[in-house]
Amino acid sequence: MAAERRRGDAWSIDWRLVAVAFVVVAVALHLSPPLVAFAIIEVLIFALYASALNLLLSYSGMVSFGHAVYFGLGAYGLAITIAKFGWPIWAGIVAGPLVSAFFGLVYGALCVQLTAIYAAMLTLACAEITFAVVFQWFDFTGGDSGISGHVPAMLGLSPAWFGIVVLVVVTLCILALWRVVHAPLGLTIRAVGENPVRAAAMGHGRKRVQLAAFVISAFLSGVAGTLYGIFHGNVFPEYVGVLFTIDGLVMVLLGGLYSFGAGIYGAIVYKLLDNVMAHYFEYWQLVIGVILVLVVLVSPAGIAGLVARVVELVRGRVRGSET
Amino acid sequence: MNAPATRNDGAAALEVRGLVKRFGQFVALDGVDLTVAPREIRAVIGPNGAGKTTLINVLGGQLVADGGSVEVHGRRLGRQHPHQVAKLGVGRTFQISSTFRRMTVLDNMLYAHHAGERRWFGLDSSRLRRLRDPALADLETIGLTHCADQVVDDVSHGDRKRLEFGMVLATRPTLLLLDEPTAGMGLGERQELIDLVLAVARERGLTLVFVEHDIDAVFRAAGSITVMALGRVFAEGTPDEIASNADVQEIYLGGRR
Repeated sequence: MAAERRRGDAWSIDWRLVAVAFVVVAVALHLSPPLVAFAIIEVLIFALYASALNLLLSYSGMVSFGHAVYFGLGAYGLAITIAKFGWPIWAGIVAGPLVSAFFGLVYGALCVQLTAIYAAMLTLACAEITFAVVFQWFDFTGGDSGISGHVPAMLGLSPAWFGIVVLVVVTLCILALWRVVHAPLGLTIRAVGENPVRAAAMGHGRKRVQLAAFVISAFLSGVAGTLYGIFHGNVFPEYVGVLFTIDGLVMVLLGGLYSFGAGIYGAIVYKLLDNVMAHYFEYWQLVIGVILVLVVLVSPAGIAGLVARVVELVRGRVRGSET
Repeated sequence: MNAPATRNDGAAALEVRGLVKRFGQFVALDGVDLTVAPREIRAVIGPNGAGKTTLINVLGGQLVADGGSVEVHGRRLGRQHPHQVAKLGVGRTFQISSTFRRMTVLDNMLYAHHAGERRWFGLDSSRLRRLRDPALADLETIGLTHCADQVVDDVSHGDRKRLEFGMVLATRPTLLLLDEPTAGMGLGERQELIDLVLAVARERGLTLVFVEHDIDAVFRAAGSITVMALGRVFAEGTPDEIASNADVQEIYLGGRR
């Protein structure tokens, strides 16, 4: 009976959980001082970025060592279309994620020709090329001084209301990602990612499936990057740089590979440590490093694994008390 | 029941001519000829290193041949990728069972049904819900209902073998290649699986080519037997013919019959 129920639930979204989380964050945005609201907005944006990266790491069997490209190109797509092409702001906002998706398609098509570490190296190479171009093509990208003033920071909204906008967009995107993972396409992606030999013997070739995952991931990373560009009202080469790539990877690893929530949990914990510890401890990144080593060694399932264990424990208790 | 080696009017289910596969200096397949009629149940036996698994891998598209030709239902296989071979109706299991070990048993079977519809895209998850009942029915058939919600990594070796077989069937192949379907299983389990394989193959009219080391299973199941040695077909015939073939006894059966 219980097993029967769980089988059905695995496919559907727990709307109560989504609603509660949404309301809690919305209220928190309105009750907190601007600095805290800024931190919440950062967490939201990075939760989307890391979740998009997690589609690759946890499900599609790919590793991207250059995912900041798709994040940062969202912000560059926004800035360049507005500042250089003179597009209206709304068109720039639409263009941002599409630019990311386009580069996801081009670089992805290249990267899926290889597998494992070779494919990962190619993602790194693509990212380095992109960074170099963005950094040096001064006339078009603004070089190392970036582009600013093309869009009012936070669209001129208060932190609380811009936070609501970000919350809505991020929630919709993560729900869409959930739908993809649990749709027929997602099942194909998971199968190909886990055992490409078996999937091929069932009629599913690896390359186009992984490419589809790559483009979806790039698009959603681009949404996150576009939001980030609007949030700060500027864009710099660092947005496509290796540090943003590492941020995403660390979040997914902290959150816990092979779970849907990895990006969300990871972004919360990482940004919390970033914001809180940096005030008290000069070498806070050292702390993150140590935590990461511990997670990888002791609990590879990361925070998601921890959460699952606690939920199981609580549920077990509730069930135990019922009978 | 399974008239061995007789050609049907139409094309053979599988027609292999002069197949060659080399690994560096080593010649794994040295001109293999093999004709399997539709609905035939053919066992491939032979000592280790005879080239049995290499043959299956070339037929399935996992390896590319260095020479010779393969036709499946009259369609020539060139350098097709495994997923293209699969779409021609060739299903296969692997010597070491190949499943999705991080997924549940049910999700594995769901995926197989989804793959069997020859589609990979699609965002409509109601399609997967529709496939649940047939998937559960298949799990019932292969006796895996008890562990439907378990992650494959947690189920027994024998259960994984049966799951893989069930998954391949769900993609509705017409030619089924089984590489040691009972390897590593217990005696009782083996018989059960072979009986299951036979029942399904007959019911669906599948053509079956299976590599097997369990001689009892081979003689019980096969309509005809191909004996391979050193990358060549060494003998071919009905189980009775093979059992009484002095050369085969010499190289393979060790004179046990």
